[in-house]
Amino acid sequence: MPRAIDAVDPPKPPRSPSGGPRGPLPPFVPALVGATVGFVLLVAMTVTVRATVHGAAERLEKPRADDAPAKVAVADDSEEKYCTPSFKQVLQRVLNACGLVGGEARRGCQPADVKTFASISDDDFNALFEPLKERGAVIMFDDASDALDPGAKKLLEERWEDRKGARYFFVVARASKTGTTDLNRALSHKRANSVMFYLGDKFKDPDLDKQVGLLWLGNEFAQLKKDYCQWPTSRDAKACNAEAINRSAFVSWVDCRL
Amino acid sequence: MLKPRSIAILALVASILGLTFAAYSTYDYAEHLDRQIHAIHCSFIPGASASDEADNPCKTALFSPYSAIYRASYWGGVPISLFALGAFSFFAGFAAYLLVASERAPRRALLFLGVLGVTPLLASLVMFFISLTRLHTFCRVCVGIYASSALLGAAAVMALMVHARRARGDVDRRVDPRGETEIASAPAGSPLLPVGWAAALGFCAVLPALVYVAALPDYRPFLASCGKLAVATEPHSALLKIPTARAVQPVTLFEDPLCPSCKAFHERLVDEGVFDKLDVTLVMFPLDDEKDCNWMVDRALHPGACLLSRAVLCGGNERARAILEWSFDNQDDLRELGQKNVSALEKKIGERWGKDVVSCAQDRATVIRLQRNLHYAANNHIPVSTPQMFLGDKRICDEDTDLGLKYTLAQLAPEVLK
Repeated sequence: MPRAIDAVDPPKPPRSPSGGPRGPLPPFVPALVGATVGFVLLVAMTVTVRATVHGAAERLEKPRADDAPAKVAVADDSEEKYCTPSFKQVLQRVLNACGLVGGEARRGCQPADVKTFASISDDDFNALFEPLKERGAVIMFDDASDALDPGAKKLLEERWEDRKGARYFFVVARASKTGTTDLNRALSHKRANSVMFYLGDKFKDPDLDKQVGLLWLGNEFAQLKKDYCQWPTSRDAKACNAEAINRSAFVSWVDCRL
Repeated sequence: MLKPRSIAILALVASILGLTFAAYSTYDYAEHLDRQIHAIHCSFIPGASASDEADNPCKTALFSPYSAIYRASYWGGVPISLFALGAFSFFAGFAAYLLVASERAPRRALLFLGVLGVTPLLASLVMFFISLTRLHTFCRVCVGIYASSALLGAAAVMALMVHARRARGDVDRRVDPRGETEIASAPAGSPLLPVGWAAALGFCAVLPALVYVAALPDYRPFLASCGKLAVATEPHSALLKIPTARAVQPVTLFEDPLCPSCKAFHERLVDEGVFDKLDVTLVMFPLDDEKDCNWMVDRALHPGACLLSRAVLCGGNERARAILEWSFDNQDDLRELGQKNVSALEKKIGERWGKDVVSCAQDRATVIRLQRNLHYAANNHIPVSTPQMFLGDKRICDEDTDLGLKYTLAQLAPEVLK
């Protein structure tokens, strides 16, 4: 019997790649594929995490050379170019011998001490301080006096407040040639103390004893030449001469790491 | 008409993409477990080279308190990207399952994807909100995870729609070109299936985190190995004492108002709820080469920092924190003014804090006070870098001031975390 012309053929079964009929997937296949994909990804990620943490732990225990942290400067006192080895050597001896470090009860150095520890000539000793021309000052006194005049106090205050990064403040007191050696030794000692006491009274700095280095040279060692009248002084430069410049206390912060 | 196959493909692509971004994020995090600084990936393009720029937003996110959990228990904590790794691995597998099962997938599989496929999106929304409101920047790798989560969320919504259609019996019966018809009524599947899938999702989500924690080294020997404060007191009372609400632990902080790391560190302390439990001695340590300021630097790393440090000192104990935080909040503008126009910087300080603060900051006495802060740093021979934190007299290593901060505090000063 002929087929009705309006009949619709039933859908053909799907074909497999080999041309045979493709049946439905076994029900476990999608679950297996999904589980495999999930498992593989999870294991891969977990192994990677483990390896990365382990690698970091190894670097922590045994840092590689290129893992060494960049060297960072350490905070410290200032250090200017004038801090030559010989300058620092003398200053260090001052610190050690004159009671600034080591907790010694004695404060300051007298001429005999300075001669001994400096082990250099007068001129060489003074030359060490020449680079401090901008930083230091010469506090001048009247003949046979250790009293600070207003100009001396003002300059001393300015210099003290201009500390910046320095740790030590040096006071090198002298006396002119007039008078006996013993008298001048005592006078220069008093002048150094005048500076020290004034700073203590004015600023009441609890660290004063650890900062101020006192030297008194009398008229025995390292007398200043007239050239020092050109330095910042507490008096009019016109009144300054070779005698007057040594009735003084040279003061300066010293920007050296000692 | 939506079909399970299309949904599965979308979910698979989203999961693979999310997995890739989460892997980069996790890798970057885990690399820092050696306590060194590393470059960080920060690109929408997976695999793009890492960047070590200071203002890398991915670095901001990575070092933020929101990038990891259990920070007090483990050095650096457990990065949340680990959970994303596990979850995306699971969803990739589940999407592959749906793809192969296609129309034969049980309705409960679509319902499961619809319900739990939005969880990464919910987590991403929380992190997006944090980025927007707390970090004020968007890490591009994180945005990649957010976008992947959104795609997965879209697939989840589609799955719910198909599930609802099938539950109503409303299915497309059209014959496709290959002669296949959509199955009128896919099986619902066993009610135990979603329970099993949820358990598998949970397992996958926590497994990488468990392995990560198990592999972590012991950091305790490193924590107190960075020195001590040699000189505890400053004899001139030049340092600031910042009043806080519940101070239980003395700390000494060396800060520079224009230093980005100081800003980030300060924000970490505040965000972790730690700052208010610290008895803070603040030492100003500007890395600026202004004349007569910091003799320890030979160039200005943060121009204007000396002036701002003096302004902070002028605020006194009561206002110093506010001025410091204002400086942190406006660092870019203030640094630019400090570099180009100091008088404009003074004007800006005056506008915000008053002329008395500017006058005080210019005063010789304040210059000397700042120098005393710097002498305190010199006396203690701290590294010339900021920030520096001393917990009591113990110096916190620089490596422990970011990722390891909370762990370090938990070990050395647990009371500040209570």
